[in-house]
Amino acid sequence: MTGSSPAPRRSHQWSSPQRTQVLADLLNDDRNSETRHRHLLETAKKEHDRVREEAERVIIQHQKKEERQRLLEEKRKEENRIQLEEQIAAERLKLLALKEKKVEIPPAPPAQPQPEPAKQQPPANLALGGPTPPPAQQLSTTQPNGQAAQTPASAPPKPNPFVQVQPQPPLKPAVASPFAGANPANGTTPVQLTTTPTATPAAAPSAATVQAPPPSAQPTVDRYTVIHRNLKALRQSMKEQIKHNQALKARMGDMRREIVKSIGQLTNAGAGANQQQQERIRANMQEALENRMGCVLVDPGMFTFEPREPVQGAAHNEPQLPSLFFYLINIFAKGVIQQFIVEAGANPETADPIGVVVAIVFSDANLHWRGASFIDILMAKFRIVCPVLFGYRGNEKTEQGRAKLGWWKDNGHWIGEQAHMTRMMGLGSGFAAVALRNFGKSARVNPYPPRHYWVAMAKIVNTPSAEISNTQCLVLKAMIVNYEQKFIEFYGTAALAAMRTALIEFPARAPEKSAAVNSLEVVATLLRKDTGLVLG
Amino acid sequence: MADLASRISKPEDAPAAADAGASTSAAETKIETAEPSNLVDNEYEVEIKLSDLQNDKENPLFSVSSFEELGLSKAINDGLLAMNFKKPSKIQERALPLMLSDPPRNMIAQSQSGTGKTAAFVLTVLSRVDLTKPTQPQALILAPSRELARQIQMVVQTVGQFCENLIVEAAIPGSISRETGVKSSVVVGTPGTVMDLVRRRQFDVSHLKVLVIDEADNMLDQQGMGEQCVRVKNMLPKTIQILLFSATFPDKVLQYAEKYAPNANQMKLKQQELTVKGISQMYMDCPAEKDKYDILCKLYGLMTIGSSVIFVRTRDSATEIQRRMEADGHKVSALHGAYEGASRDALLDDFRSGRSKVLITTNVLARGIDVSTVSMVINYDIPMKGPGDREPDAETYLHRIGRTGRFGRVGVSISFVYDRKSFDALSHIAEFYGIDLIQLSPDDWDFTEQKVQEVIKSSRAKADYAPNATSGSG
Repeated sequence: MTGSSPAPRRSHQWSSPQRTQVLADLLNDDRNSETRHRHLLETAKKEHDRVREEAERVIIQHQKKEERQRLLEEKRKEENRIQLEEQIAAERLKLLALKEKKVEIPPAPPAQPQPEPAKQQPPANLALGGPTPPPAQQLSTTQPNGQAAQTPASAPPKPNPFVQVQPQPPLKPAVASPFAGANPANGTTPVQLTTTPTATPAAAPSAATVQAPPPSAQPTVDRYTVIHRNLKALRQSMKEQIKHNQALKARMGDMRREIVKSIGQLTNAGAGANQQQQERIRANMQEALENRMGCVLVDPGMFTFEPREPVQGAAHNEPQLPSLFFYLINIFAKGVIQQFIVEAGANPETADPIGVVVAIVFSDANLHWRGASFIDILMAKFRIVCPVLFGYRGNEKTEQGRAKLGWWKDNGHWIGEQAHMTRMMGLGSGFAAVALRNFGKSARVNPYPPRHYWVAMAKIVNTPSAEISNTQCLVLKAMIVNYEQKFIEFYGTAALAAMRTALIEFPARAPEKSAAVNSLEVVATLLRKDTGLVLG
Repeated sequence: MADLASRISKPEDAPAAADAGASTSAAETKIETAEPSNLVDNEYEVEIKLSDLQNDKENPLFSVSSFEELGLSKAINDGLLAMNFKKPSKIQERALPLMLSDPPRNMIAQSQSGTGKTAAFVLTVLSRVDLTKPTQPQALILAPSRELARQIQMVVQTVGQFCENLIVEAAIPGSISRETGVKSSVVVGTPGTVMDLVRRRQFDVSHLKVLVIDEADNMLDQQGMGEQCVRVKNMLPKTIQILLFSATFPDKVLQYAEKYAPNANQMKLKQQELTVKGISQMYMDCPAEKDKYDILCKLYGLMTIGSSVIFVRTRDSATEIQRRMEADGHKVSALHGAYEGASRDALLDDFRSGRSKVLITTNVLARGIDVSTVSMVINYDIPMKGPGDREPDAETYLHRIGRTGRFGRVGVSISFVYDRKSFDALSHIAEFYGIDLIQLSPDDWDFTEQKVQEVIKSSRAKADYAPNATSGSG
């Protein structure tokens, strides 16, 4: 799946030998001569063999990785379970203590607090506003050693990092398949998914292991939704922190607004036009890393697709980094997604400068942790707002189908069709702008190499005919328009084949000839008209 | 208290509250019971609620039919698809059959800004033109400004990009060759230039079949242009089909319009239906006029903004704002009467293409200009009219804010007030259209940011409840 960690070499491996001029070659006069034909066949065969070998190697590697991932996921679950149990124990002790106190005060009806214990601990973590627990407690353990003084030490000892805040409904029955939770794709009801990694405290551990090995056909555990949920908890934690940390409060809002403003200022006015903005974004993130405001430290592993081990020579190897840093990356990612929706939805060409800045920010080694970027945070957001890029499908005429497709809801109502389609187009262009960046001339490592683009496209065009949706067509169209040239540069003839599949075969087998389906075919017509490229 | 209230209302809001991850447990249990358990998931799916579809039906962008059902040619349809037009909007669905029927009948059509009026008349024009006579003028479209004429020309060309032999020319100063004269089937121009061309016999009007007047209330009302429009009409064949379009038709202009286009089919809106619900309308309470610059720059961090348009009263303030905003990292185009022809075109092209993202302008561009990425409009000065700028100009306000929220997108408008006069003027406009303006204040930006976000969110939901664009015709 899309998940393997960014490997520097790959982008080169996957690209075909003739990177440039492919288009010119194709339009060349002697393209149909026999020698050329033979030569091409020869090259194609070699290429085929190379790709096949590579594919075999990759699949073996991938299987190993999957196995490792599964084990790690299990380990994580067990750890979570233990932490949760410890937490319950602590809470229960606290509750007992409280109860005893209450009994001493005159008219306490003892029946009331008694049946609560199981239900009460989780909400204690939430930002309910006031009733029982002191608000700061969720952050307690993750405090940095030095800065502990900044936050009130009122919290009771609880050995959980703040992720634990989230996995809240432990009473829920185990889900049949972890993937079944895919319907909260619209981000509005992510709670259901949380069950996967937490495991139920009461249920026997065996129950947890039963659900662990996912059906192999589906993407493994949906790590992106977990990251997304962790980000929500992070934002909540920041809200709490600024209540007690004046220095942070004074600066955080300004940093956030500077980043949002900078993303909004990006233009396609040529090279160097966006330098000031890039620098501002970078400087804010760097400042957050220095943590002069003494915000809570958190485990960066909560925001990465795969667990990471320390890497020699990496800018950051420590087990914890300032929460503000992740908050700002989260704001940056959110801003980028919003900009794609607002701007690229209306004019797809505006996606490109944003994609460039994404590439620059996430390829900056000073902002890396253990040798890799935090682009998974951006991808987690993509996963929520545009699930079709990750192979999710749904029927637009049903509630669940829309949720799976990432159809947004506002105030409990689905947003209008036009608004949804605009969003999807913007996100499709945005994804291409992020995933089709050429690092050939750069010393940096591509944080999100083009293979992800290929995978996303493959997942859409391989949809069974009966399940093809308008949403997919629009995302697919937006991914391709304006990026034909780049796609061909990376993949050569394979890109042409992919485009033929996407623009001719895919719409041809769609069950309903809607405007969205037809507009894919029009892209092919336009290509022929404007560039002379004939796909089929 | 407020805290309590918000908690009580939580359960209903919960499905929408994307950010309320850690909401109350009550809310979550509600979700769990309301939706089918995951254990039986995927087997059967619930159809979209009727209410959601009905919301759509109220929307001026909603229609039941497709462009194909409207009987357009394949070439035109492909052009629409290439432009990402999927379905006709209400005005297109309702007005097109009336305009395309034979024998041709006149039409006076009103619809909110950004709901597809231009495409509606462009489709009519393209359907009426006989492409076998590519250089014979057959349709004339009049617009109040050079920029708008060029924009319409571009729309005709884009919708018609698959129509072979389609030639579209703009009859604006400096664009028609003096030697050849008009040699196209579709002409888009400003009334003055068109009149000159006809007088000089460089524009053969004898085969014109359609006359479209965009921003018709403005064109027929203004002293100079109203007269010009009448003169142009008198030069044209008597049988010509006349189509008048605008988002606003004040009563007195409407009477006049009915004389200009006799026996017309009409599609009108009530005054309260004029505002586009997808546009969040707010105002910023500035302590003093001198604070407006700094406040303006701060606005750009509060929300995600694509492009923005800032309307000012004088050229001087336009220049000063430009200077300050560029220092803050913005790419700015300032467009006003000080610039002429080609440089105006270049400035606007920069803005359209996204090379600059802030457009500072005077009323020149209040009407018609369609740049789809505009997500914020600032009334840096409240629009006024009459001698000594004494009267609030409600129509201009509406046209200005209509530069955003195009075709169902979300937009924001923020009007600056700083003294009694500006406050009263804005209140008058708000009352006139029955708008609820939300107040913002520059004291606490964290708070203002939060408020803006809430307003945008609720407008996005309201965009679905927008009124019917076409109440009554005939």
